[in-house]
Amino acid sequence: MITLRGLTKRYGETVAVDGLTCDIKAGRVTGFLGPNGAGKSTTMRMILGLDHPTRGRALIAGLPYASLRRPLRAVGAMLDARAVHPARSGRTHLVAQARANGIPVRRVDEVLEAVGLAKAARRPAGTYSLGMSGRLGVAGALLGDPPVLVLDEPVNGLDPDGVRWIRRLVRNQAAEGRTVFLSSHLMSEMQLTADHLVVIGRGRLLSDTSMAEFLAAASPASARAVVPDPGERATLVRRLMAAEGVSVGTTESGELTVEGRTAAEIGDLAHHCRVRLHRLSDVRVSLEEAYMDLTARSVEYATGGSGSTAGTPGATVAQHQGEAP
Amino acid sequence: MTEPTTTSGRRTDALRAVRGTPDPGTPGGGTPGGFAGAVACEWTKLWSVRSPYLCLLAGLVITGVFTFYYASIARINDHPVEPAGNAVASSAVLAQFAVVILATVAVTSEYATGSVRASLLWVPRRHRVQAAKALVVAVVSFAAGVVYAVVGTAVAWGAFDGRASFDAGTTLRQALSVGLYLALVAALAVGTAFATRHPAGALSILVTLLWGLPSVLLGVGGPDLAAVNDYLPHGAGDHFMRSGVEAPYAPVSATLIVVAWAGVAHLAGLYVLRGRDA
Repeated sequence: MITLRGLTKRYGETVAVDGLTCDIKAGRVTGFLGPNGAGKSTTMRMILGLDHPTRGRALIAGLPYASLRRPLRAVGAMLDARAVHPARSGRTHLVAQARANGIPVRRVDEVLEAVGLAKAARRPAGTYSLGMSGRLGVAGALLGDPPVLVLDEPVNGLDPDGVRWIRRLVRNQAAEGRTVFLSSHLMSEMQLTADHLVVIGRGRLLSDTSMAEFLAAASPASARAVVPDPGERATLVRRLMAAEGVSVGTTESGELTVEGRTAAEIGDLAHHCRVRLHRLSDVRVSLEEAYMDLTARSVEYATGGSGSTAGTPGATVAQHQGEAP
Repeated sequence: MTEPTTTSGRRTDALRAVRGTPDPGTPGGGTPGGFAGAVACEWTKLWSVRSPYLCLLAGLVITGVFTFYYASIARINDHPVEPAGNAVASSAVLAQFAVVILATVAVTSEYATGSVRASLLWVPRRHRVQAAKALVVAVVSFAAGVVYAVVGTAVAWGAFDGRASFDAGTTLRQALSVGLYLALVAALAVGTAFATRHPAGALSILVTLLWGLPSVLLGVGGPDLAAVNDYLPHGAGDHFMRSGVEAPYAPVSATLIVVAWAGVAHLAGLYVLRGRDA
């Protein structure tokens, strides 16, 4: 478990991280979201003892990172995949890492094999593609078989196969009871990967909640239904509109868009009125929409005026219909 | 990308299969790691790039050329007979920069590539990172100094052609002294490099301290300036490396002066390394 208590980082007048308090618990994947400059990387660096907090504490299993004797066996971290000496081979990089923490060198070859870098292991790291550097970073994080993983943008530069691999990997790690804390800008990917979300904006905690609750909070119950018979459709609309707080829209193709009712409630009502339905589904807001909605007011680097980055909740990407993670 | 085309599923399976037996006890606990681990890590990092080999080779070439030149001048100008090892002691004024550059680059290349953050993740106690790097570089420099001394003495012995004396005990003591001096200036360089984080800044300071200032002080001349030079690292080092020449203080004091310089550099480096964010 990672514990943040009033974690604060100031750079002169600028407050990068402002009184962050939350627990990142074991056994689940916690996604770390926030706009650029919100303080995500600074927070991760403070957790890992690279940056000194101005105030507050960041603890791993109750200890500051710097007091871990063999930190790689306690925490696996990947911050900047490119921060490797370009002339050193990927394998030697990991061997040095292993020796620092008393990890047997054979473990290096195991993780290289596991991340799919075995063939490139003896090439200079400077020749690696961004995706290969990412895999080397993940190999380093896994090296000590740690109970806690901290990954900053792990899917950055990976191909679709690699993205799927990371997703399965972190979900497996969490299923084994490990703590996984990862940041990403890919909302669709985060939606498939994370169980829990920590969202910050301008260095402050905006949300610390489960994925399901986060999505539910952003979208009131709504559903779509297709009623083939015009007469029955009119009946259903009348019965739906009879209740407070329900609005119904109709498309030309005869599809109803119902706000204020779930698919289950509409299904029950249709059954009660003997109305035939051809299709019925809940409309779920995507993580991207929910996230944009939440951070619209705290985006620091919005692309001025175009509204493409923020401020227009629901402007992008269709409903989430992806596979279960 | 030249990655193997295994499916993600197989990779995951492989990962699960290879996971070793978990470490009992508290996470992060256990026997190895610590300072020994940090030293092993620094040793691996040092030899995994080309620059140390080039630096050490350059130092050997410099020593060979310098000692040949020194001994030839002594022979041609009929200098008084002196221990052959003094040629090597003199060559240290240049050869020291082989290990100074080796030590500086070992630190500043980590800042240039960002890999210093990895080093601090692997060994989060910052004084331990610095001490391990200094120790590794110092040991390498000591060995290099002894080798330089043996080779340099042999080269000089030939070039002196009788204008030098040879005594196994003196030569051995001088070889160890040269090793010790190079080890100490290498450690001095590590501290300086951690304090500046940039090769240009570190080498400016080190070249000034180890070569520029002594040249000015001795070039301008006079007993007062020479006395000042006696307390600079190379001035003091020269006094314990050279044999059969009068010195203002005992070899032990000379050594302690160089140790003190290295210590000050390390305190400065540690102050920066601890205080600043990585």
